[in-house]
Amino acid sequence: MSFLLQSIFNGLLAGCIYALFAMGLTLIYGVLNFVNFAHGELIMWGAYFLYLFMGTPFGFPLPIALIPALFFTILLGIGMDRFAFKPIRQANRLTLLIAALGLSFLLRNGAQLFWGAELRTYGFEIKRGWRILNMSITINQMAIIITTLICIVIVYLLFHRSKLGKSMRAVSDNLELARVSGINTKKAIQFAWILSSALACVGGILLALDTNLQPGMGLINLVKAFAATLLGGVGNLWGALLGGIIIGLAENLGVLVISTGYKDAIAFGIMVILLLLRPPVLYGTQE
Amino acid sequence: MLEIKELSKSFGGIRAVSDCTFTLKDYGITGLIGPNGSGKTTLFNLITGFIPPDHGEIRFRGKRIDGLLPHEVANGGIIRTFQITRILPKMTVLENMLIAPPLQTGEKFGSLWFKRKTIKTEETENRTKALELIDLIGLSHLKDQFAENLSYGQQKLLELTRGLMAGPKMILLDEPTAGINPTMIRTIIELIVRMKEWGMVFFIIEHNMDVIIELCEWIFVLDNGQKIAEGRPEEIQNDPRVIEAYLGV
Amino acid sequence: MNVDLFLHLWIMILIYIIFAMSLNLEVGYTGLFNFGHVAFFGVGAYTSALLTLHQVPFELALVAALIVAGFSGFLLSIPSLKLRGDYFGIATLGFGEIIRMVFQNEVWLTKGPMGLPGIPKPVLFSYRFATLPQYLLLTIGFTILTFLVLRFVTRSPMGRVFKAIREDEVSTAALGKNIFHFKIKSFVIGSVFAGLAGTLWGHYTTFISPGDFTLLETILVLLIVVLGGKGTEWGPIWGAIVLIFFQESLRFLKLPAEWTRYLAPLQQMIFGSLLIFLMIYRPEGLIRGKGGR
Repeated sequence: MSFLLQSIFNGLLAGCIYALFAMGLTLIYGVLNFVNFAHGELIMWGAYFLYLFMGTPFGFPLPIALIPALFFTILLGIGMDRFAFKPIRQANRLTLLIAALGLSFLLRNGAQLFWGAELRTYGFEIKRGWRILNMSITINQMAIIITTLICIVIVYLLFHRSKLGKSMRAVSDNLELARVSGINTKKAIQFAWILSSALACVGGILLALDTNLQPGMGLINLVKAFAATLLGGVGNLWGALLGGIIIGLAENLGVLVISTGYKDAIAFGIMVILLLLRPPVLYGTQE
Repeated sequence: MLEIKELSKSFGGIRAVSDCTFTLKDYGITGLIGPNGSGKTTLFNLITGFIPPDHGEIRFRGKRIDGLLPHEVANGGIIRTFQITRILPKMTVLENMLIAPPLQTGEKFGSLWFKRKTIKTEETENRTKALELIDLIGLSHLKDQFAENLSYGQQKLLELTRGLMAGPKMILLDEPTAGINPTMIRTIIELIVRMKEWGMVFFIIEHNMDVIIELCEWIFVLDNGQKIAEGRPEEIQNDPRVIEAYLGV
Repeated sequence: MNVDLFLHLWIMILIYIIFAMSLNLEVGYTGLFNFGHVAFFGVGAYTSALLTLHQVPFELALVAALIVAGFSGFLLSIPSLKLRGDYFGIATLGFGEIIRMVFQNEVWLTKGPMGLPGIPKPVLFSYRFATLPQYLLLTIGFTILTFLVLRFVTRSPMGRVFKAIREDEVSTAALGKNIFHFKIKSFVIGSVFAGLAGTLWGHYTTFISPGDFTLLETILVLLIVVLGGKGTEWGPIWGAIVLIFFQESLRFLKLPAEWTRYLAPLQQMIFGSLLIFLMIYRPEGLIRGKGGR
C-alpha cells in the first residue's frame, strides 16, 4: 500500500514537471497557432545552462546560477522565434514545422557538441527528507513541488491579472482582431516566448534534478508535453496543467503493471487512446 | 428536393441556426439572404455535413442526410462552393477540373492494376468534358497553368465550373459574386443561368441584392439564425420584416 | 576513389532514394507531416533480418517485411490521421521514438541494444547478391521498380486526389473524396516502400541495432525530400545524391582521433541548419517544380 502511495506521489511529482512543459508548449500554441517542435530543446538547454553556470569556471550556487540560466533560455526562445520562425510566419504549416524540427535537431546536436552524449547530473547528494504517511520525500522532491506551485501562481498572476497577460489572451483568441483593436501583438508574442521559455527552463532544471541530463531529453519530453496538452485541450493553459499531472500519474502507476523500459511510451499510449476515441477532425471552416 | 426541418445549431451559447424549416423546389434558383452573421454559411455547412446539427432533419431527395460526412453528402448529389474561393492552387486548371467527377475508378488502389482499360476510358471522357467546360468559360489558354496564377474572378469561375463537372443534382453557392468586378459578375451570372437551363438546381447565398433579384425565383431570409420570411423576389423586397432585419443591424 | 567506395556510395544513395521517394509520397504529394518515417524503415529491416536469420528464404522475408511495414503504417495512421497537421507530426515523431524503444526493449526478439549481426545476403530466385557489384544490381532493380510504381500512383487519379488533399482538404472533401481513406492509403504505401528501403539496408550492412533507427534518419530523409524538391518525381533522387554523397564522404575524412567525436554532432548541426535555411529561403528545394507535375 505504501508502495502505491509512493508511486502516486512520484506521479504527482513528475506531473508537476510535465505540467510546466505542457503549459509552456500550449502558450506558444495559443498565441502563434503552431506546436513548437523545438520546445523540448528549450527544456534541455534550460537544464544544461544551469549545469554550465554551476560548473567551472562559474561555480555559482544553484539559486544564483538560476538567473543566467533563465536569462539565456529566454534569450534562446526569443532568438528561435526571431531567426527561425518569424521569417516564415506567413508560410504554410509544413514549412514551419520542418524548420522547427530542423531547429530542434540543430540545438540537440549543439548540446551534444559541447557536453557529449553521456548522462550528467547536477551532483547534489540526495539529502534526507521526511517521512510522511510511510512515504519518503526528499528535499529535492519538496523543492520540485514548491517551485511548481510558485510557477503556477506567477503564471496565473501574469496571465490573468496583468495587462500583458490580457493581450496574450486576446492574441490567442483572435490575432487579427487583437491587432486591429490596437493591442501590441508583437509584444504579446514576445511575452509568450519569454514565459514559455522560462517555464521550459524551470521544468528542465527540475527534471534534471530528479533524473539526469542528456542531449536527447528534449524529444521524448516534447511528446509527453504534447500528450498533456492534448489531454487538457490544446491552447488551454490550465488544461495543460491538469494534463501534465495526469500523464505523470499515469506513468508512475503504469510502471507497476508494465515494463519500465516503456515508461516513456505511456504518454504516447494515452495520446493514442484519446485519439482512437475522438471522431476525425471535421475539416471545418477553421484552418 | 431539399427539405430542412427544425434545424438548430449552437456554438457555445450562441444559436447560429435556430429551428429552421425550409423546403426547396426541384428546379431553378433559390436564394438565401440575411444580414451578416445571420447563419447563412452555417446553414450551408450543416447541409453539406461540415458541421453536425444539434437538432432537426435534413432530407435530400427524400433521404436523410443530416449527420453524413461532407464527402458522403457530395456523393449524394450536393456540391458546394465556398465564400472565399477554394481551388487547388498548385495544380493546373485542368487538374482542378479532373478532380471533380465523383467515385472515379482510378481512385481505388486495386483498380489501378486490374481495371486499367476502364480507367483509361474514364480519363479520356473526363478530359474531354473538362476541356469543353474550360473552353466554355474562356480559360482554355490557361488550362495548364497552376490555379493560383489565375485572377480571383477566374478562380471563382473555375470553382463554379468545377462544381458542374462533378455532375451534382444541386449546387450550393456561397456568395458567388463576392469580391469580383462587375464584368466578371456578369460572366458568372450568365454561366449560372446557362447551367439552370441545362437543368441544374441552385441554392445561393448572396449579399448583392441585384444578383439575387435577377437570378432567384424564390428567396429565404435569415436573421439571427431564424427564418423570418420567404417568397418571391418582389415580395421579399417589400417585406417590412426583411427591411428591418437589414437596417436594424 | 576506388571501385569499392564508388559501389558503396551508390548502393547507399539508391537505398536512400527509395526511402526518400516513399516519404515524398506522403509529405510531398499528400501533404502529410510524417516525422516518424524511420519507424517503418526499421520495422522493415528488423522483420527481414529476423526472418532470414531464422532460415526463412529471402523472397518470403522481403514480402513479410513489406507487409509488416505497411501494416504498422496502417495501425499508426488510424488514430493519428484524426489529428490536424502539426499534431499528426508530433504523433508520428513520437511513434518513431516508441518503435525504437520496442527495438531496444524486446530483447527476446530483437536482441535489444546488442543488435542483430550476421544478416545473410539476399537470395532472389537462387541468385545470391553477395558482392558489392551484385548488391548494386539488386538495389538498382528495386529502385527502378519503386520509381515506376510510385510514379504510376502519383500520375493516376488516386495520385491526383493525394495532391488535392495536400492543396485543400476542405474542397476535396466537398467534392466527394473520403479524405481519411485516401490519407491512409498514401501512408500505407509510403510505409511499405520505407520497409523495402530498410530491408535493403539491413541486408547490406549485415548488422542492425536500435541505434540505427533514430531521429537522425528521419531528419536525413526529410532533408533529402525537401532539398530535392518535395512533390516532384526527381527531387528525392537529386536530394539523395547530394546528401548521401556528403554524408558518406565525411566518413572517409582522415581526422585526428580527438576530433571524431565532434564530427557527428557537427554534421547533424549542419543538417538541422540546412533544413531551417531551406525553409526560409528556398522551400521548394533545388529542383524548381515546373508549372506541371
